[in-house]
Amino acid sequence: MKELWDIYKKGIILENPIFVLALSLCPALAVTSTALNALTMGLTVLFVITANNVAVSLIRNFVNPKVRVPVYIVSIATIVTVVQLLLQAYFPLLYKALGIYLALVVVFAIILARAEVFASKNNVIRSFFDGLGMGSGFALAMVLIGTIREILGAGSFFGIKVMPASYDAPLMLILPAGAFILIGYLVGGCKMLVQYIEKSKA
Amino acid sequence: MSAGHHDEKNNSIFKIATNLAAACLVSGIIIAGVYFITADAAAQKAVDLKNAAMKALVQDAEKFNPVEGKEGWFTAQKGGKTIAYVVPSESKGFGGSIKMLVAVTGDGKVLSYDITAHNETPGLGDKANQEPFKGQFKGKKAENLKVVKDPSDKENIQAMTGATISSRAVANGVKKAVEEVVEFTGGK
Repeated sequence: MKELWDIYKKGIILENPIFVLALSLCPALAVTSTALNALTMGLTVLFVITANNVAVSLIRNFVNPKVRVPVYIVSIATIVTVVQLLLQAYFPLLYKALGIYLALVVVFAIILARAEVFASKNNVIRSFFDGLGMGSGFALAMVLIGTIREILGAGSFFGIKVMPASYDAPLMLILPAGAFILIGYLVGGCKMLVQYIEKSKA
Repeated sequence: MSAGHHDEKNNSIFKIATNLAAACLVSGIIIAGVYFITADAAAQKAVDLKNAAMKALVQDAEKFNPVEGKEGWFTAQKGGKTIAYVVPSESKGFGGSIKMLVAVTGDGKVLSYDITAHNETPGLGDKANQEPFKGQFKGKKAENLKVVKDPSDKENIQAMTGATISSRAVANGVKKAVEEVVEFTGGK
């Protein structure tokens, strides 16, 4: 149990996909203009990465190492397509809201990275927790970026106005350039946190 | 890799190709299976969604009938009479084409519109489908569908801050729809 918890929690801070591994920065810039978009995307990735880790772990002994990357991509694409078909049939509104982002999940670096680095070398249960942890870390980071950008850039939080009407929102934060600068600061902050954690452990 | 040592035989191009082909085959079977199960439900939901979208545009309507000879056009019926037309329109925005459904009365006044597909900047241009920008269109005729940046001009459409191109594109798309309806009905 302790071991699984360790696998899970490393994705949240110590190996956070966005702030520490610096993978999948593109969606972190593009999809975080509002907290809701960021949360939806985060949860989608959480599901896909967990499902893909399990699938890759299950097939890891049958895959020829020379074609492992194409096979992992096929696996990710299959999961995303199935999710897309299911959403289209049973939750059309959510499908509409996710729009083009859903198809983009296929090429997220973090998902392929976890398949290659972790799931292809570990058993199903460990891979499941790794995906869950990495997905949670990704979702948390996305929501954090989205929240800051929405509150400062648009004066609202999940679409509800939180800033007084006189607040003149800086447009910059809604644009990708603002997100890039913000992520820079957050990466710096996370680095300090990681150093602090490691120092207090030592 | 867990499957550690592979001899020469296992790495032949044929083996590798078979492996990848098998993965694709399994993937294809899974997707085909899911599609087979969900296709009917998805088609049904798409029709429901479209009806709901049109209902939101023309709230008084009791039912919608397709217009013959006009692809994608619908008339909104109430008590056996046509109260409005729902027509698709398209225009070029900041990030590619913006597709919308526009509800127009027979005499060429805008009721409302709904953007069905777009690639505008999140947080700026995509506000075109929300209030207060959207509300400005209600009751406007084709000649007043011009985007201005002067806040005192109440006759025309006020551009959204930071998204003038998107504002203009939406106004043009709506205008095109209005003009088509007027041409179709003769302005009655």
